[in-house]
This record gives sequence, C-alpha cells and structure tokens, in this order.
Amino acid sequence: MKIPKALLGAIVVGITAQATVACSKKDAPEPKEQATKGAKSPVRVPYDCPGCGMG
Amino acid sequence: MDETPAVLASLACNLDSDILTAAFPLLEDGKVEALEWSFDTLFRANELPEWFIELLHTYGNQQRLVGHGVFFSLLSGRWTPEQQQWLAQLKQVSSAFAFDHITEHFGFFTGQNFHTGAPLPVPYTATALRIGQDRLRRIYDACQCPVGLENLAFAYSLDEVQQHGEFLEKLIAPVNGFIILDLHNLYCQLHNFSVSYEALIDLYPLDCVREIHISGGSWEDSSVLPNKKVRRDTHDDAVPAEVFRLLALTMPKCANLKFVVLEQLGTGLRSENSKAQFRRDFQQMADLVQQHRATIAAHRPINAFRPAQLPALGTAIEDQQFHAQQVQLSDILENAVSFEEAHRRLHASSLANSAWKVEAWEPHMLETAVRIAQKWKQQ
Repeated sequence: MKIPKALLGAIVVGITAQATVACSKKDAPEPKEQATKGAKSPVRVPYDCPGCGMG
Repeated sequence: MDETPAVLASLACNLDSDILTAAFPLLEDGKVEALEWSFDTLFRANELPEWFIELLHTYGNQQRLVGHGVFFSLLSGRWTPEQQQWLAQLKQVSSAFAFDHITEHFGFFTGQNFHTGAPLPVPYTATALRIGQDRLRRIYDACQCPVGLENLAFAYSLDEVQQHGEFLEKLIAPVNGFIILDLHNLYCQLHNFSVSYEALIDLYPLDCVREIHISGGSWEDSSVLPNKKVRRDTHDDAVPAEVFRLLALTMPKCANLKFVVLEQLGTGLRSENSKAQFRRDFQQMADLVQQHRATIAAHRPINAFRPAQLPALGTAIEDQQFHAQQVQLSDILENAVSFEEAHRRLHASSLANSAWKVEAWEPHMLETAVRIAQKWKQQ
C-alpha cells in the first residue's frame, strides 16, 4: 500500500529523533522518575518488551 | 484507491525504533499491505508521536489496521481493575483508530502486576470457558468490531495441544469470533511434542482463521531431557524455512483468511544483518501470499465475524478457586530454584489431582514454564 511521501519523511525524522520503544520496565529508574514528574513524552528506557514472543 | 486484495501481507509494527528502521524500506516501497499494532504495549507513554498516529490512520482509513492486545490476561480467574482499565483504553483507542479487528491471546499472566509475567495455558474446563467467553464479550463491547483469539505456543502436554483448537472454537463462539493461527506457535508444538503438522492442523477450526502469524524463535537446551532442544516462541530471529512451508500449506485451508502477519521483536533487529533478513522474510511471506491470492481469484472471505445479537453484560465472571490455583502455580514457577523443586511443590499443591492434570505435564515443558515465568517476572 502506498504511503504518502510526506508521511514517509516524517517517519524518518521521527525514528531518528527519538530512540522510542514500545513500552518500559516498571521499576527502571528513568521511567519512574519521568512518570512522577508527569512527563508526557514516551519513555526512553530500552526494555525487552515482548509484545508477543513471550514463550 | 486500489482495490483491497483478499489476503493482505501485513507487518506487526509497534512504536519501536528497531522495528520501524527495519521496516522502513518495505513501507517506502509500498509492500506492507496492512499493519498490526499492539496498542497495549505503550502503557507508559501518554501520547503517540504525530507521525505514528498518521501511519496508523493511513492504514486504518483503508481497513488495513488491526489491533493485537498482549496484556489483558484473558483467562485470569479474578477480574481486576487493570483489566477494567485495559477495556477503557481499548474503547478509547478503538474510537480514535479504525481497527478492522481486535485480538488477544489465550492464557493467563503469571505476574502479580499488570505488564509483568508471561502468558501460560489453563485447563479446558467449564470454568475457563465461562470466564473466557465473558472476557471476549467485554472486548467486543469495548471495540465494537470483530474479535479474535490467538493460539498459544506453550503447552504442558500433547493432549492439551490436540484439544487447543477445539477449545478456542468454543471460546469464540458467542461473539462469532475468529482465530489467529500463529504458525510459529504451531511449529513449536510440532517439535516440543514430536507431532506432525498433518496430525495437528485439522484439529483447528480452520474456517475460523482470519489471521495467520509467522515469526522466528529460538532453541533452548533441556536439563531434564539432555538430547532434547525445546523450541521457544521468542520472536527474536529469522522465520525458519519450515514455517514458510507451513504457511504455504495452511493458507489454502483457511477460507476466511484476510491477514498474514510477520512478527519480530525490536530486540532481534539491532544489527543490519538482522534488519536485512527481516525484510527478506517479509518479501518471502508476501510472495507466498500473492501466489495464494492467485489461486483464490475473486473469492472473498465469507464470514464477517460479527455477532448477531448479544445479551447485556452483567458482573464479570470470576472463580476464586481458579484464581487461587493460578496464584499458586505462578508462585511455584516464579520462585522454584530448580525443576525438581517445581515438580515437588506442584505435586504437593492444590493443582495435584485436579483439572490441571499436572501429573501428565511433560517434564521438559514444566522446566520451560519455570524458565518463562522467571524470565518475565517482576524484578
């Protein structure tokens, strides 16, 4: 399926700008600190978030 | 707008820089025909980046976006505030994005808290059936679109493997739901229980399969069976050639198939080699999907997988004994220092001589359950 070029460009910028991961480990210091500060940006702690693939 | 093909070569795509970097050339070349998003893995971020939202809308507006839940814990014996919150989130995200369907996994989570633990199976009892049907009904109520359930890779016994398809069919019946047939999960069972594809595939209600998953995994040594390697569904490696073979064999059997999805975790896509292999896997999958489409010509899925009419929802069904057994099992698996200790504690527990049939559990699978539970337990 074709994706608009502008969106593709935004994806490249977005991937490059932030090392975003899908979820975070609950007890890692950084996300806990960010959570208590009410941070709105996605947490950055790399975590082996399974999505599926847990077995 | 191009006409939507009958079966779509799809990608499991979460807000993960390794997945997105690996997938970008595929997206750029227009090869990804649909997206699957695990909407509940982003539980700590308060907002999605605009570009990711736009990506989801781009596919959703073409009826090519599906949602795949991971953490609902469908078959937990107790109804929890976290599950209520999960449904509220599902309702919200379903109003924001046009999901063609929503799915979840068979099993219950071993963890004490939301987002920890791992999904493990439950016995195929009337209690489990009532709870599972109730939860699927609630998922449908929240999302108002077709609802499906994925087969689980892990099982304790061959008997359980052989009955899995039949029980899934019973679970989805009240919501006229469908099945995700994960072929890597099936591949794990073929190896772990030394059973053939032909002996197993027809035990699944293949007319209920709307989605197929393929992925890679890993091999693990067993200390209880030194000559045996256990196949693990870890989603961190290339798709085995055998799984592609299973895909080619299985697609023609599934008259209501619409999505074929490649899954891989970002943790398995750190190197350039792994990213390149991921793209090759996607191309191979897409080629097989295209070959299959050519054989079905203008055929479209018959079943829309929407329920006719459902009774009003009442109080969430619970079973305290079932819950207590799950808590006990989780404690044993998460804390046993050895297979021998797990085995001893299990046979002295309330699960002994029960519907859980622990006496029939294969030792190498109990050992694997301990490893899974301890890998994912809250630290």
